[in-house]
Amino acid sequence: MYKYDNIDKTLVDQRVAQFRDQVTRRLNGTLTEEAFRPLRLQNGLYHQRHAYMLRVAIPYGLFNSKQLRTLANISEKYDRGYGHFTTRQNIQYNWVTLEDTPDILADLAKVEMHAIQTSGNCIRNITSDAFAGVAADEYVDTRPICELLRQWSTLHPEFAHLPRKFKFAVNGAKEDRTVMLCHDVGIELKKNVVGELTANIYAGGGMGRTPILGSLIKTELPWQLLPSYLTALLRVYNRFGRRDNLYKARIKILVKALGPEEFSRQVEGEWLHLQNSDDNFTQVEWDRVAKHFTKPPYKTLPMLTTEHILENVSEAEATAFTRWLERNVKPHQVPGYASVILSLKPHGTVAPGDATTAQMNAIADLADKFSFGELRSTHEQNLVLADVEQAELYELWQQAKKQNVALPNVGLLTDIIACPGGDFCSLANAKSLPIAKAIQERFDDLDYLFDLGDISLNISGCINSCGHHHVGNIGVLGVDKDGEEWYQITLGGEQGNDTSIGKVIGPSFYADEIPDVITNVINTYVNHRSEDESFIQAYRRLGVAPFKEAAYQNAKKKEKADAKSAGESV
Amino acid sequence: MSDANSTPSSLVQSHDEVLVFPKGGNPSLTSNKWQVWNGSQDEGGLPALDLVSHGVLVPLVWWIEHHHEMDVIAKAKNGQIGVWFAADDDILKHAELIEAGKQYWPLVAAYFPLFRDGRSFSTAALLRERLGWTKEIRMIGDVLIDQLLQGARVGFDSFALRNDQDLGVALKQFDLYSVTTQNSWRDKRTLLDQTQ
Repeated sequence: MYKYDNIDKTLVDQRVAQFRDQVTRRLNGTLTEEAFRPLRLQNGLYHQRHAYMLRVAIPYGLFNSKQLRTLANISEKYDRGYGHFTTRQNIQYNWVTLEDTPDILADLAKVEMHAIQTSGNCIRNITSDAFAGVAADEYVDTRPICELLRQWSTLHPEFAHLPRKFKFAVNGAKEDRTVMLCHDVGIELKKNVVGELTANIYAGGGMGRTPILGSLIKTELPWQLLPSYLTALLRVYNRFGRRDNLYKARIKILVKALGPEEFSRQVEGEWLHLQNSDDNFTQVEWDRVAKHFTKPPYKTLPMLTTEHILENVSEAEATAFTRWLERNVKPHQVPGYASVILSLKPHGTVAPGDATTAQMNAIADLADKFSFGELRSTHEQNLVLADVEQAELYELWQQAKKQNVALPNVGLLTDIIACPGGDFCSLANAKSLPIAKAIQERFDDLDYLFDLGDISLNISGCINSCGHHHVGNIGVLGVDKDGEEWYQITLGGEQGNDTSIGKVIGPSFYADEIPDVITNVINTYVNHRSEDESFIQAYRRLGVAPFKEAAYQNAKKKEKADAKSAGESV
Repeated sequence: MSDANSTPSSLVQSHDEVLVFPKGGNPSLTSNKWQVWNGSQDEGGLPALDLVSHGVLVPLVWWIEHHHEMDVIAKAKNGQIGVWFAADDDILKHAELIEAGKQYWPLVAAYFPLFRDGRSFSTAALLRERLGWTKEIRMIGDVLIDQLLQGARVGFDSFALRNDQDLGVALKQFDLYSVTTQNSWRDKRTLLDQTQ
């Protein structure tokens, strides 16, 4: 993985010093809270409901065991013994103090980490495929470009105060695991017919209040020209994006208002003047960065079949281990290796994506022992050991079980993406975590979950949609009605190559109704599915009607009961 | 797209002193010789320049309307008029006017209606990169200490800070970083510096 050179080291150290000075000025009152707010946000420091929250960058989700141990130490020393992995592949701490933050950043800098631009109206941490460099379906390893873009965007002066936050995702595999179309800019890397690395650019996607999928605005852009093209794109957005209304300030609104063709034309007009500038990447820079993303010292190994892998597994464990192989182990580019997803969604979990100090330290040990000391964080809030020998999968599974990170629920109904919700976040209208827990408790039967197959369920505590409910097959959105917490259901969302925005099925529900509603929706799928038909396929075939009817079957009874008890005619 | 903040009826009050940081030079403080005028607060037109020792920065929209008037041309030729751009002024649409202004204006300025409104960063970048403006560009409006570094890198070389800002702390902002990872008006990114 990428290793800082003197430039990176110096920059991150100087950033710590700059932020330390800003915190000092805030604490002595010479910097107002209003002026400090964007400064702290650009360093990942939020003020949440109860305390400060610090979001630490994990650029494109790649980190190592030493860094994870530092993250574990920080959780113990400055927080409450856990960290929370986010959908943008970052980790955040919920209980830090303003006073401690400069010291935390200094600790991070020692292991080549930082919190730069993990929040605020600037270019955010760039995300990518958690399996970049190892995925069997990959056509381009996105990591060198991601790293070059990380450097280009870090403390970019012109785009430090954009109309709103700005998120990049970079995909280079056949299957999109980045939700590319739901980003302000999606960069799809490909090789052209003569083998040159080029990018297709999608702009104007996003979730939140107005979910919109990105539009293709540029094809086959040579990789070297990404900085000049993206400068042109961001300059158009910076100058003409709306600033009068927070909810209409994202680039998706500008692209929609102008139309993708006109937006693209304006970007091209700007780019004409920039495309030959020395803003562009050079081969020297590529070489400097790409040498860190060479393959680890893989052994020459035979490709093992599942039968081989199961050879020495006891009968008592065979079923559970096979389940884990099916759900949590992914194919690899190199024979004899596999990638393993460690589930941070054990049933009854406090919060999807949480890892305790002890778990983080233990997972760092697993990375050292089984995967060249490297890790990935995923969009789905799990962790990945990307380079595991197939022959060691059984041993890894046994050790992962001891840490409660081996539940074979990856991609299943209980692999829930959820935001922190009203328990932590001051923006939230409703809680998310108890809903996630209640659903996991309701669907605690692994046999049943296995039978249901791939289903994504995403929960957001407010319209900002940090839990990405729009792209869940089943989405749950917390809404506020007259000071009460209600939950709205969307169906039909999907991430991946057929990324779709789910549709709201109707009026919202009470929190305690949600497990029943989900059960009814799931039962509808089970009752109507054809053989091998996934939930989303069945939904697309059947349409919303049967699911909607099932979802409201109890609600109707309840309405009637309420009406009767109130003495009204039904 | 217009919004009320971009063309303020009353301007943010700046310090008496202005911070100057020429490209290739050192930051220092100097007395402010330019009054920022919003184009309407004096009903009689331009402030009475004869009575004051400084020049006046007029809004672009005012210049567009009045730059053919004899007394305006006279004052401009005398180096007493500069132009400031509102955050929503599309300066590229007025490239010819700005080209012509190069012969009169000793400086131009770009206005920050709110410190976290970054539109004028792009204005400065375009003035330097595209329109070939080589003289002073001043950051005016809601200019706070922690926006100076970005301003200095995109093309500003003078800074009229909001009047509650500590100029001593402001002066120290420009040497916080010895490396950069992208090009700017002031520096090439550190790697390019080393390889070229």
